[in-house]
Amino acid sequence: MSDLLEVNGVTKRFGGLTAVKNASFTLKKGDFTGILGPNGAGKTTLFNILTGFMPPTAGSIHFNGELVRDLAPYQVVNRGMARTFQLTRPFIGMNLLENVLVACMSPRASQDKDKEARARHLLAQVGLGGRDKEPVETLPYGDLRRLEIARALATRPDLLLLDEPFAGLGSSEIEQLAQLIRRLHREENLTILLIEHKLREFMALVSRVIAMNFGEIIAVGPPDEIVKNEKVIEAYIGKTEDSYASA
Amino acid sequence: MRQLSLIDIAGGLVVIAILALAPVLISSNYLTGVLTVCVIYGIWAASWDFMSGLTGRENFGHSLFIGTGAYTAGFLSSIWTANPWYSLPLGVVVAVAFSILVGFPTLRLRGPYFALAMLSTSAILQRLCLIFWEYTGGEEGIYGLDPLMKTPLYYYWFALGILAVTVIVLTLLARSHWGLLLRAIRGDEATCQAAGINVTFYKIVSLMISAGFAGLGGALYAHYQLQVSPPLFSVVVSITVIIMVYVGGIGSIYGAAVAAILLTLLTEMLRGFGEYRLWIYTLTLMMILFFLPNGLIAPLWRRMTERLR
Amino acid sequence: MLQILIYGAVSSAIYAMLAVGFTLIFGVARILNLAHGSFYALGAYSAYVLTSVLNVPLLIAAPLAVLIVAGFGVLMERYLVRPLRASQLAVLMITLAVSLAVEQALFITFGSEYRNVPSFVADKLTIGGVDIGGQRLLALVMGVLVLLLLWLFIQRTRLGAAILAVSQDPEAAQYMGIPTNRIFSIVMAISAGTAALAGILVSPFLTVQPTMGLLPMVKAFAIVIVGGLGSIPGSIIASLILGYSETIVAYLISTSWTELVSLVAVVVTLMIRPAGIRAAF
Repeated sequence: MSDLLEVNGVTKRFGGLTAVKNASFTLKKGDFTGILGPNGAGKTTLFNILTGFMPPTAGSIHFNGELVRDLAPYQVVNRGMARTFQLTRPFIGMNLLENVLVACMSPRASQDKDKEARARHLLAQVGLGGRDKEPVETLPYGDLRRLEIARALATRPDLLLLDEPFAGLGSSEIEQLAQLIRRLHREENLTILLIEHKLREFMALVSRVIAMNFGEIIAVGPPDEIVKNEKVIEAYIGKTEDSYASA
Repeated sequence: MRQLSLIDIAGGLVVIAILALAPVLISSNYLTGVLTVCVIYGIWAASWDFMSGLTGRENFGHSLFIGTGAYTAGFLSSIWTANPWYSLPLGVVVAVAFSILVGFPTLRLRGPYFALAMLSTSAILQRLCLIFWEYTGGEEGIYGLDPLMKTPLYYYWFALGILAVTVIVLTLLARSHWGLLLRAIRGDEATCQAAGINVTFYKIVSLMISAGFAGLGGALYAHYQLQVSPPLFSVVVSITVIIMVYVGGIGSIYGAAVAAILLTLLTEMLRGFGEYRLWIYTLTLMMILFFLPNGLIAPLWRRMTERLR
Repeated sequence: MLQILIYGAVSSAIYAMLAVGFTLIFGVARILNLAHGSFYALGAYSAYVLTSVLNVPLLIAAPLAVLIVAGFGVLMERYLVRPLRASQLAVLMITLAVSLAVEQALFITFGSEYRNVPSFVADKLTIGGVDIGGQRLLALVMGVLVLLLLWLFIQRTRLGAAILAVSQDPEAAQYMGIPTNRIFSIVMAISAGTAALAGILVSPFLTVQPTMGLLPMVKAFAIVIVGGLGSIPGSIIASLILGYSETIVAYLISTSWTELVSLVAVVVTLMIRPAGIRAAF
């Protein structure tokens, strides 16, 4: 089976700073992969490049065999690659239903005749059913993340990119959201790429980890191997050891 | 979607009935003339509100579309002596062409490029009318357009009908899924992109719609005045329209139309103040900016009818 | 040829003085000041009132007029713009309202007839067989001097560094203890002052009347779009491009066609290099 996503030598420089350095990896259909790395490792920059929000300085991105590196974000979405944002960005002044409806009007969703029914169905699917008319302004963080996922699902993606979906959530909320993501992966036949900077959330969820540090991919493998990888350990707890040693 | 409630429809019918009957009850050519101008300003304000009010991309040169619509009518009817009924559709076409010319390069960009480009283009076009006076008649403009109707009263009813159609079409569009997208663009363009929406396309098409109605209003105005002149392109016309929308309550369409009618009437009443008129206007604008940031007409209507919904 | 060289330089200098202030206040405070042309007009009228009505000697009147307009700009920013800063539309509306109010106030006070401001230098100079009004040369020299001083101020002083910091990242600057509000006031004073100076310098050889601010402001927009919003070097280069192409067009075709130059420049820039020539740096 051919690769769904093929990232080859992607590099991003901001002036003198290299945020992403020669990143290459592939995703197969049905993969559940996580990108791991401490803050500032270049994970979100990589996401922005993949989804067309930022042009890479060098490198290529193929999605379903098609070069997507020079496409606008909405075009990437319409090829079947949808994303959520780390800082959720709902449409202020609209209710939950309207927020999802916007995405139901994208070209990939055009097969849905009754867009409102579809939006309602999506809200129910992410656990926000029956709350159509609620304004987004008062929504707690966990629900905003669900709303983001519903909006991404509306575009009927093959690949879903989730940018730190668990950030700022309590442990019970994390567990519920993880269950939702797992279910989507299983039932909707979605390929999922997820960013996280905490090791713990990963272990139970993903089947493969891409570890990044200082903009570079330092290791790829299943979670139980990654936690034993020396480079990963160094990136995560190396500093702590140093400080112990000097103390 | 936000459906039109019965009370909104009833309110609209009452306003249209009052406007239609006013010149019959008070038979005065002066009043009919003033009301015609009121109604045309209503078309301009509603058309501004559709694009800029919904998407939040401020058009500071609506007079560009008004002026091109009016001058198209001027050239056609007076210089090329075409059938005056060609003015309206061709006024729309030319205004839409200009909207593509300015909108396409600027609406792709972030930042205030669109506002600046619209303002500059309208101001430059006003200058060009003066510079190429051999063709445009310079300061005097173009005279001797043919009237569309036999009597001013018929023409007023015709213009009122067009205003009604404009408001109905734009309101339905604004409350449709299309309008929802435009409001989403106002909210967050990045999120729209993430939702797979071609933001630039929607902005350009809504500018074209906005320009079309503005050009239609411009051509109507030309056939009311039976003359066109460079001030139609002026920044003052654009800002007057924006003030009207602001007073009406941005994004409501009907509020803009009602505010346009009321403010034009008010301007007529202030005629006695002569050169202080624009001052009063400007001060009103400042007061509204500071004390009524959501406008007056639409919020008032919503509060009045809240219990009836 | 020499004539084109000198006249082009004069109009470039005037445009640059206008555009730099306009782009500076946008770059630093994100204020798109549609009242920028009013500063230019107010500068000319202040000079007129001080010299012709109050009989103040010109050399005192000119700096005094600059100060008056700078003060006006600061007050406008503080009491009209700052409370509305949260909304971009409100800022555009209020600055446009100010420009209309100024134009009307000038119209009501002075009427629409042209006013005269005495020249600083009445003599004509002959350079290489070309007669150039001394006032135009003065405008050129002053323009270059002001831009040079502004550049030194921003590059070499602590205050200049603070201004740069705010323009790059207002939030970070605030964390570092830079009083952003005071920086806005200072930049507004500089912006209004340079525009006023431009107005004073041209007033002896151009017409002084209430609507005189509109066209230069439109030119400033064009320059800023061509140069890239917020970029000072970009706007200076764009001023040179616009100033010279207008002079060349006026010389080769006719003065009527000069207005088209800025329109074409804006359209071409937006089509091929939307970020302006700043992107070339």
